[in-house]
Amino acid sequence: MSAVLEVSDLRKTFGGITAVDGVSFEVQAGEILGIIGPNGSGKTTLFNCILGQLHPSGGEVRIDGSLSTDMRPCDLNRLGVSRTFQLLQVFPRLSVRDNLILAGQEHRGSMLSRLFGRGDAGLGEAADRMIEFFRLSHLAQQQAGALSYGQQKLLDAAMAFMAGPRLVLLDEPAGGVNLTMLGHLRERLAAYHAERKATFVVIEHQMEFVMALCTRVLVLAQGRIIAEGAPQEVRANPIVVEAYLGR
Amino acid sequence: MRRLGAGAVAIGVIAAVALPFLLKSFGIYLISMWAVLTIAAIGLNLTLGYAGQISLAQGAFVGIGAYCVALLTPEGFPYALAFVGAGLLCFAIGWLLGYPALRVQHHYLAFVTLAFTTLVFLLLRNEEWLTNGIYGINAIPRPTFFGWSTASALYFYFFCLGALIAISLAVWWMLRSPWGRAFVALRENPIRALSLGVDTRRYTLMAFAIGSSLGGLSGALYAPLVQFIEPSSFALGLSFNLLMMVIVGGSGFFFGPFVGALVAVLLPEWMRIAQGYYLILYASIVMLLMAFCPSGVIGLMGRAFNALSARRDRAATVLHGERVGA
Repeated sequence: MSAVLEVSDLRKTFGGITAVDGVSFEVQAGEILGIIGPNGSGKTTLFNCILGQLHPSGGEVRIDGSLSTDMRPCDLNRLGVSRTFQLLQVFPRLSVRDNLILAGQEHRGSMLSRLFGRGDAGLGEAADRMIEFFRLSHLAQQQAGALSYGQQKLLDAAMAFMAGPRLVLLDEPAGGVNLTMLGHLRERLAAYHAERKATFVVIEHQMEFVMALCTRVLVLAQGRIIAEGAPQEVRANPIVVEAYLGR
Repeated sequence: MRRLGAGAVAIGVIAAVALPFLLKSFGIYLISMWAVLTIAAIGLNLTLGYAGQISLAQGAFVGIGAYCVALLTPEGFPYALAFVGAGLLCFAIGWLLGYPALRVQHHYLAFVTLAFTTLVFLLLRNEEWLTNGIYGINAIPRPTFFGWSTASALYFYFFCLGALIAISLAVWWMLRSPWGRAFVALRENPIRALSLGVDTRRYTLMAFAIGSSLGGLSGALYAPLVQFIEPSSFALGLSFNLLMMVIVGGSGFFFGPFVGALVAVLLPEWMRIAQGYYLILYASIVMLLMAFCPSGVIGLMGRAFNALSARRDRAATVLHGERVGA
């Protein structure tokens, strides 16, 4: 297996505060890596540095072996790297279908060809398939802002997959989602992973979700990796229990 | 809703074609001004309403377009060339003006564009060798196309209306393309848009450039309409007026600028029956509208339609229930 994502000695400081402190890890193709850690441990900052939303203070990030530290998020997305955010990030005034078409349209041709091409950028059927895959068919024409929180979370995840990415970074996909919807979301993510062989990196606090979905788990505390291994190993690790699980 | 909208558009077009035959020359002048300023408001609606970039520079672009035509046509340039030139020049300047929008947003951006409008006004006023300064440029000719002269008020109105329809169709088509969706994404959530591959930098510049070019095209019609232009016509007042048209009509709604321009151009004239109080009355109406319906006239109409539909659906459900019960 080859590394899709390589993070080497990544650091990010905000004034005198070090949010990410020399983090290094690799993610292999087809892997589902979970990242857990207490609030403020630097998980989202790590994501933002990997995805070009924040410029790291040191270290480097490589996607498929190519340096991506200085790339913009839109360029990374076009390379096949996608993400979701901790807080809901759908476009409330667009319909569910249009949210999904938007999520894929920038991968179709040049900017000029998109202007003169089809209104749905040729993604209408793909959007309908994705809507069906995430079981949102009855809501396809609804404005995204009118959906329930759980449904918006599903849409948010579906948007991350719309362009057929090879690497998906999911930031707390289960956050605030009720148990029924949580099981549905986990099952859909697992199904997508099985079908497309995509690589996932998942930040999550919901331990059952992480244990069921991830093949490997990495634990962050105060910006550093304190443990790494299979989900059951990590759960039993006394350092992790002390730093994170608190029992 | 869609059928109702198509019906309203058809009635609007028929009214716009028939109306000048019922009006005297000042009335025709007013509806020509409505058509011309609607084009500028459509441009601002694209920049502000769809792409979410506030601009107080639209009046300046109308001025640049107007001076472009007023300076070129007496030199023998065909009007069509000057018209296209005005659009292209404003596109290029609008693109450059978009760069500050990559760094600042909201009221900071408003101040940047406000400064630009002031700069253009000062250039038009002070560079007398080019613009004739405060004395302005008069006797701007109206164009002739293949022997068809638009010198009369009626014909020039139809020329303006034709330009408005052509530009509206082009903008409608653009907003239905993936660009329209990208502009909305830029307005609603630029960070998420960026993470989905939308090059927010390029779309921001494009929104400014296209919106500004429509301002320039509006100016290219404005100059032969009024036939006399001077710098103060394109000072901040016009930019604020165009902003008001977009907000009052309904920012981010395609037909918002049409209604907003109608309110801004025709309402003050209708209010003249109140004589000296007409501007106070006009300002009060606008303030009330904004206080009770910030989404503008089109937003208000949409809400009314939704309320009526909901009531009709409820009535149908009750009726169906009674029939089943019977």
